[in-house]
Amino acid sequence: MKGDSIIPEPMVSLDRIELKLDSEAGPVNILKGIDLEIAAGETVSVVGPSGSGKTSMMMLIGGLERQTAGNLHVAGKDLATLDEDGLARFRRDNVGIVFQNFHLVPTMNAMENVAIPVELAGLDNAFDRAREALASVGLDHRLSHYPGQLSGGEQQRAALARAIVSGPRLLLADEPTGNLDGRTGDAVIDLLFSLRADHGATLILITHNPQLAERCGRAIALEDGRIGSDVRNAAEAPA
Amino acid sequence: MTAAWRIARRELRGGLRGFRVFLACLALGVAAIAAVGSIASSVISGLEEDGAVLLGGDAALRSAYQDITPDERAWLEERASVSRIVYLRSMARAAGSDRRSLVEMKLVDGAYPLYGALETTSALPPDKLFELRDGAWGAVADSALLRRLGIGVGGTLKIGEATYEIRAVIDREPDRVSGARALQLGPRFMASAASVPASGLVQPGSQVWFFYRVKLPDRDGLSDWRAALDAQFPDAQWIVQDRTNASPTIKRFIDRTTLFITLVGLTALLVGGVGVSNAVRDFLSGKIETIATLKCLGASSGLIFTAYLIQILVMAGIGIVLGLVLGGLAPAAMADLLHDALPVVARVGVFGAPLFLAAAFGVLTALAFSVWPIARACDLPAASLFRDSNARFRGLPRWPFTVATVALLAALAALAIGTAYSPRIATWFVGGASGAMVLFGVAGVLIARAAKKAGSIGGTGLRLALANLHRPGAPTGSVVMSLGLGLTVLVTVALIEANLGNQITKSLPERAPGYFFIDIQNDQVDAFEKTVAGVRGFREMRRTPMLRGRVTRINGTPSGEYKVAEGSRWVLRGDRGVTWAREMPEGERLVAGKWWPADYKGEQLISLSAREAVNLGVGIGDTMTVNILGRNIAGRIASLRDVQWGTLRMNFVFIFSPGILENAPQTHLATVHADPALEEGIERAVADKFPNVTTIRVRDVLDTVNGFLGRLGLAIRLTAGVAIVAGTLVLAGAIAAGHRRRVYDSVVLKVLGATRRRIIGTLLLEYGLLGLMTAVIACLIGTVAAWAVVTEVMRFEFTFDPASVIVTALLAVVITLALGFYGTWRALGQKAAPLLRNE
Repeated sequence: MKGDSIIPEPMVSLDRIELKLDSEAGPVNILKGIDLEIAAGETVSVVGPSGSGKTSMMMLIGGLERQTAGNLHVAGKDLATLDEDGLARFRRDNVGIVFQNFHLVPTMNAMENVAIPVELAGLDNAFDRAREALASVGLDHRLSHYPGQLSGGEQQRAALARAIVSGPRLLLADEPTGNLDGRTGDAVIDLLFSLRADHGATLILITHNPQLAERCGRAIALEDGRIGSDVRNAAEAPA
Repeated sequence: MTAAWRIARRELRGGLRGFRVFLACLALGVAAIAAVGSIASSVISGLEEDGAVLLGGDAALRSAYQDITPDERAWLEERASVSRIVYLRSMARAAGSDRRSLVEMKLVDGAYPLYGALETTSALPPDKLFELRDGAWGAVADSALLRRLGIGVGGTLKIGEATYEIRAVIDREPDRVSGARALQLGPRFMASAASVPASGLVQPGSQVWFFYRVKLPDRDGLSDWRAALDAQFPDAQWIVQDRTNASPTIKRFIDRTTLFITLVGLTALLVGGVGVSNAVRDFLSGKIETIATLKCLGASSGLIFTAYLIQILVMAGIGIVLGLVLGGLAPAAMADLLHDALPVVARVGVFGAPLFLAAAFGVLTALAFSVWPIARACDLPAASLFRDSNARFRGLPRWPFTVATVALLAALAALAIGTAYSPRIATWFVGGASGAMVLFGVAGVLIARAAKKAGSIGGTGLRLALANLHRPGAPTGSVVMSLGLGLTVLVTVALIEANLGNQITKSLPERAPGYFFIDIQNDQVDAFEKTVAGVRGFREMRRTPMLRGRVTRINGTPSGEYKVAEGSRWVLRGDRGVTWAREMPEGERLVAGKWWPADYKGEQLISLSAREAVNLGVGIGDTMTVNILGRNIAGRIASLRDVQWGTLRMNFVFIFSPGILENAPQTHLATVHADPALEEGIERAVADKFPNVTTIRVRDVLDTVNGFLGRLGLAIRLTAGVAIVAGTLVLAGAIAAGHRRRVYDSVVLKVLGATRRRIIGTLLLEYGLLGLMTAVIACLIGTVAAWAVVTEVMRFEFTFDPASVIVTALLAVVITLALGFYGTWRALGQKAAPLLRNE
């Protein structure tokens, strides 16, 4: 439907976004007026030193944190107008997230972990879809394993399967290889890009890795809560 | 040990954090047991210290139906001050009105009381209060009698043929507990024994008791005096009691009540044990890295086990001391309540024995439920401690720890049985509790398996809820066990109470006669029957001769030396109602032997209650000797009858064949069934025509019993409540222990798009299912236990009371839902972002 618009609506739009969090030492300004638009289907890397606000920006885009000031629209929704349950439904319908620490539910096996978003969306065949998604990340032999019984790479692949299983329009990945060795990390990233391409989703990837950042069509650098640079790469990395 | 102690000390710097449920569970169980024991000790020490006052003398001789001989009396008076008291039940009628009341008469002499003082509303001494003045004997009575008769102090009433003037109201009767019967059916009435002849109440065969109390010149000479009495009158049929055991009935009552409440308290402690086990496991979960590190650094499993056992014991010590302090203070806290409820002045103090016992139960429980999880945590190899948290507490520990756990549980059982007033009942309890624990353990596993099998039925919420019940580390087992045990006790107590209540307020009044009439003289029988049958509303009357006798020998062995099962000791303890009959009583059936022909003439035969025969260990052909009115009558057991004691009919353990008893002085006992609306007419007619006949209204007796059971039930319910509180604590502990996981799960589910309503719904469904399934199992086990007690111990017909069970089941669901909701609500309140940030 969006394709029918004359000017395509951006997938993500941040307008003078500020984020101030309370800490024991007093309020800390994390984001200090971010203006950013990301079109549907773009792949965007976010780089920057620790504490520059990368994860906070991703949390805002995922509706897991609320901005202190500014306007934030994701997938056509003004997130400020949504209550907590509205945000939950928004994520369910639009967003898939991959964390550095995987964040699988430890007491659910791989299949159950992946099936959850489909079940929450009320879609049919949750377990068939979960099985398919796990197969697409090469884990079809680990369906009934609990997270504690999976290696780090396998856990992240399961998390990836969970992120894409319900076909989200926006994929958020926060240093998805941060806890993995180089080889395993590369495999996970290949999968991430491949799956994104299959689904045509918008990808926002937080990373410290410059090579990884270069695989995205666009690289944004954050510095002390502000956008330091916003560069379009010559060619988007192949899947 | 030093290294273990050093490690333990360092670890204990963390304080009591994480041990709240552990401490509460132990403290609660120990407090319950310590409180029950301390209160019982305070009452019993009151009984012992006030023995002479409660008994009314250093010793008392009690003779049923017939007075002692002048020689016997002279012997007593030569050696001590003597006071003679006559006890009987009779009907008092207000002068000038038709109001009447059953009274418990106590007719005293001038020496009364030998110990203590009779407190009345008058300042006059007893001899002045009771003297004959203007044709009326002086009397004092409970205020209840004055209310019933509608008279005040100065009012007159008639008992038998005598007229009495009420000169004061009794405030406190020091020796009230030492009457003829344990159960008082009417208000106390006291007057001079000199009025007995005028009343005409004491006739041959009348139900009257003569008490001779003695006050020795040398109080320390009690045992010599008793020895001399036994030597002088070896065959005397009186029952002697002395101040060292002034009120065996109350003592027995206290002992039995203490046993039951202690057993319920022990259930609370067992439930708490599950909480202890959970708390230890959760505590060790948080210590896995430390344990692993210590192992990597070269600490042996034994050293680590000792270090953690020391920590658990220190914590257990704190919990137990807390419980002992609370329980030890109970006598002081309950002093006023006990003073009102019991005829004994309880002593306020700290009683070492019950506190020691409670502490022993506490230590054994703490150890029995801790050794296993500590051993399992310490036995795992260091490497595995760093991996897969769910595998940490699976499997059996090494055999010495398994043996130690079994030995500790056995010691707990042995302590419960060894210290119980009735080891038999305690053994049943231990068996029942062990069985229930095994059943709940199995039920926990089955529920988890069933949840797993049910898998993906229903919607997402139900699937998630079911999945939460079987996940690795799910608290299903411990919740089912702890809440289930508490609820089982509650269901059992509630059903027993409901059955008793139902018997007393419904079944018995429907089946039982409206009235018992006692002391009908031989020459009054015809007139009595005619009078009663002529009153409107009369339905049916049964009458039987009534004598009292005491078993002196069984198969030639003196009854005092005879070993008898506890349930039937009462048969030998004092004098029992005895009758003779030509026909077998209606409503009874023979279970062995033959009933004698109606015109039987021959050797004396006895028909015995079958249940008592079993407990006495006698059967057809055995002989029993019963002393009736001073004469030993031996008889051969010819038949055994199934007596329905619960019917409140005229039930006799002993029925003699016609013969010797036919001509013995006897009175008659009659039961009358009448239209409840018109039955008072019968009472009035009998009172008017037969002043010596005592009327006992069954409804009044049942009211008295019901009130008593109500108070007793309250005490038992309160203790059962402690078991439920313990179960709730364990549940709260399990929910608290899973809180971090719940928060994490909720946050991840929220990230994946679950709404709060959905998360709450799922978790409430989980707890609702858990509560409901636990309740259903508890209700089943509780019903079986109640059925066993009601039919096997109380010998009543068991009726299932759905209300008690439904209320208990609802309670379980409400408790689990409330705690589950609270836990979930707190989990939902957590912000997602901080938990999701990379560490």
